[in-house]
Amino acid sequence: MRISYDWLKKYVDVKLSAEKLADLLTMGGLSVESIEKFGNDYILEIEITANRPDWLSIIGVAREVAAMTGARLEIPAVTQQHRSPSNKKAKAVFIKVEDKKLCPRYTARLITDIKVAPSPAWLKARLEAVGLRSVNNIVDIINFCLFETGEPMHAFDFDKIAGGQIIVRKARSGEKITVIEGAEKTLDESVLVIADSDKPIAIAGVMGGLNTEVTESTKNILLEAAFFDPISIRRTCRKLGISTESSYRFERGVDPENIVCASYRALGLILELAGGQPGEFTDINYSQTQKRIIDLRPEKVNAVLGIDIPVERMKKILISLGIGIPMESKSRLSLQVPSFRNDLRYEIDIVEEISRIFGYQNIPSTIPSIVEQPVRMEKELLLRGSVRSAIAGAGCDEIITYSLLSRKSVASAGLAPQALVDIENPLTSEQEVMRPSLIPGMLGAMARNMNRKLKDLKLFEIGNIYLKKPGGEYSEKNHLCVGIAGTSFAHWASSSRQADFFELKGILERLFAWLGIREAAFQQTRHESFALAECASIEIGGRPIGVMGKLATRVLTSFDIKEAVYLAEMNLEELFKYVPVEKRFEELPRYPSVWRDISIIVAKETVNADILSIMKKTAGALLKDAYLIDRYSGKQVPEGKVSLTYRLEYQDPTRTLEEKYISDIHSKVLHSLEERFGAKLR
Amino acid sequence: MKEDIRRIKDAAIAEIDAAPGPDALESIRIKYLGRKGIITELFKKMSSVPAEERPHLGSLINEVKDEVTCALASKTKAVSGYEEEHAEKIDVTLPGVPVRAGKIHPLTKTIDEICGLFISLGFRVVEGPEIETEHYNFETLNIPLEHPSRDAFDTFYLSREKRYLLRSHTSPVQTRFMEKNSPPFSIIVPGKVFRPDATDASHSFMFHQVEGLVVGEKVRFSDLKGILEIFARQMFGRNTRMRFRPSFFPFTEPSAEVDISCILCGGREFTAKRCSMCGGKGWLEILGAGMVNPKVFEAVGYDTERVTGFAFGMGVERIAILKYGITDIRLFFENDIRFLRQF
Repeated sequence: MRISYDWLKKYVDVKLSAEKLADLLTMGGLSVESIEKFGNDYILEIEITANRPDWLSIIGVAREVAAMTGARLEIPAVTQQHRSPSNKKAKAVFIKVEDKKLCPRYTARLITDIKVAPSPAWLKARLEAVGLRSVNNIVDIINFCLFETGEPMHAFDFDKIAGGQIIVRKARSGEKITVIEGAEKTLDESVLVIADSDKPIAIAGVMGGLNTEVTESTKNILLEAAFFDPISIRRTCRKLGISTESSYRFERGVDPENIVCASYRALGLILELAGGQPGEFTDINYSQTQKRIIDLRPEKVNAVLGIDIPVERMKKILISLGIGIPMESKSRLSLQVPSFRNDLRYEIDIVEEISRIFGYQNIPSTIPSIVEQPVRMEKELLLRGSVRSAIAGAGCDEIITYSLLSRKSVASAGLAPQALVDIENPLTSEQEVMRPSLIPGMLGAMARNMNRKLKDLKLFEIGNIYLKKPGGEYSEKNHLCVGIAGTSFAHWASSSRQADFFELKGILERLFAWLGIREAAFQQTRHESFALAECASIEIGGRPIGVMGKLATRVLTSFDIKEAVYLAEMNLEELFKYVPVEKRFEELPRYPSVWRDISIIVAKETVNADILSIMKKTAGALLKDAYLIDRYSGKQVPEGKVSLTYRLEYQDPTRTLEEKYISDIHSKVLHSLEERFGAKLR
Repeated sequence: MKEDIRRIKDAAIAEIDAAPGPDALESIRIKYLGRKGIITELFKKMSSVPAEERPHLGSLINEVKDEVTCALASKTKAVSGYEEEHAEKIDVTLPGVPVRAGKIHPLTKTIDEICGLFISLGFRVVEGPEIETEHYNFETLNIPLEHPSRDAFDTFYLSREKRYLLRSHTSPVQTRFMEKNSPPFSIIVPGKVFRPDATDASHSFMFHQVEGLVVGEKVRFSDLKGILEIFARQMFGRNTRMRFRPSFFPFTEPSAEVDISCILCGGREFTAKRCSMCGGKGWLEILGAGMVNPKVFEAVGYDTERVTGFAFGMGVERIAILKYGITDIRLFFENDIRFLRQF
């Protein structure tokens, strides 16, 4: 809200510069966002929190300044001398409030024979300072009073009100009104309107209708001041897409006690600037405002704040805020809250008021005693950090992509549209659904980097994926995605390497080794996103936890990627189930290992995993490890065959293995390979 | 025989002196001292020597053997030193074999730093779901339906009908944790949050928050100040000052908006006028905090007379932007490797 420093000074005797005042307000909870020089005046742009509608007026802010500085508050006196007017022409207007809940209080007064004219310079200047355009004296007075008192009012051209009567009712479905700003709005039964005998003439609390607008030719006006239900106003604004200075205040709650005062204040100004004869004041009041009493224990204030404010000081602060203290005992103050402080309801609200005025800066800083927690963090969080180190250590950069995606990018990645979680109110088509996989985000990041000519991409992301469960519930699962593409950069001492399936697999194997997982296996599989020839499911302990492979060309094309991309995605929650909880020391082997290489020629289709499993089966426990060290097919190898060299490590924990013994086993291994795969020794 | 031995010795020493390098020396070693070497052979001839001459000849051969061994050793040392000294020098400015380490995302780094700091203060890290219900996201946090206080929490809905949404802040984890745990405790909650904001340089519809909650029998506002001041100094430097301003959050009472002195200009009055970071204010807003509203405790069945607590929440992007001087929030989610590799 824009506050004019000069205007404010009319109501409170501030002796501070605009800057100092801005500081004071900010430290009191009225956050001053900017100070702007405006002629001889300063305009403070203040951010008002949703709990303080009373600050949406100059008087409200002045009241706060008075409380904080101890300066005197001077609210303009309202003359109520027109209480029983002798205006023969202006009899009481017929008013009917049909919905007491949505309109607990409605007041109106007919003022006849006014003269609509341009506003005097002082009034124009006041409105201009707070950012309003001057219209005419009547409209300007209403706006002036809104800013001054915080009470939104409205003036109708009385001669345009059909039947000369006011009905506060719910709109009929399909009923239309053209508002002052010119737009036609279609209403329904949830909208409260002010109507005459045949049509709506205002959307209650929001905006008046063009049909009863005060114009230069207006002679008689009806001045409305009312209290409308905040929730109803809020709903109406949302529904119709309008927000006005009035509705903004009604939504937050205006002071119902201030209505009469504000109406008289406006009347006084109208009579002064536009002349006219006041009619009778009609006040239909269904609101039951009862005096709110809150009990305060001064001891509680100090306990919550960690300070020792004397009771006398507390009382002074409360009184400065307009809070009455009708009763007090040794340990308790009974407080009476003013009608403009609808936000004060509980003891803790009063604690805040005292601390606010006392000044947060005057509360000391202490250190709470440390309480031992059962764990520092959940196992899953620790492991996630571990995964991050392992994958980053393998040369991959961490990315974070959006959890919301377009339906199109999900389909482009070859992912099924079932179980997608929809967003009901996306701002753009890029936010239509929650990601069912990290793959589209990864491909998006790859494409973006490739477009910028960035080579050698190794990226990973850890984040949730989201799915709809059959019962209408949702699930989110923590996933890891690793993607590699391009050529790792050429180096003078080594040749460059093109990203491929096995480089990616190596990264995953590094991860499993890092976590101490031994049961990982990769099985050929099919997946819509991946190329048929290079796609594997990642299995741990026999359970599939993810998928990896070369992305299908169709998928890459739809992401505008022109080079091969290899990608793996897995469910981390599943993976973590296989991480050994506690590491146990294993005695170091006392006897040395013996290594033997084996070179065989087998049919090309022979699967490495099968060869290894035969080796292990044949050699038994003595075979500590076996791994492929060379794979060759070319000139010396017959067509359709491949030459494989394995290195086998034999070890017996109880004795040194004798040469002859190992040779025996080794030839048995070879024999079984011959038998099973038709292997030929090279 | 003696003469033979002497000749052999002289020849060996001469050869050693003339040897050009380690390879020649090794051949000489084999020639004289190898298994079938000339000197080794001499020992074998001892059997044909009369018994009385054997001790004398034996020690003579041993002397020769030692002498030759010594000469070989010293020449080997000399030769290798020479070779090393005259070896071709490598270009030490050639690049090393690349062993590239990947980088951790700056937001993850910031979250880790914040959490690590609070762990050292006795906090426990806790997480919660990103898909939430209105109940946890709003109601238990004293944010009533259709109240202007919800304006600050514009929300993505998955199902309005079933009241499912994407959490618009990390605070729902407060209630979820309190439902299952009893005070006293101190927790810190990092996570993603979502708000339908149009994306620009300073707004993103997805961002990260870290939430803190401390509940116990005598937790005070002064403790909140103390803990957060430690946080500010550790995070932004020893000289960082902190300012608590009254504010409003439905789930805390009293509530505070917390600023730190500008990390660029230090918040000094005169330089501040020109500061590009704080725009002359001298202060940077970094978090919201307050004493937990008793309404929130009531929602989880805590005894509001017995326990008090404080809570605070901060935007991770905001902290990272300040810490690293980043100019556009979108950079965090574009994942350009030239950006990622800077941190």
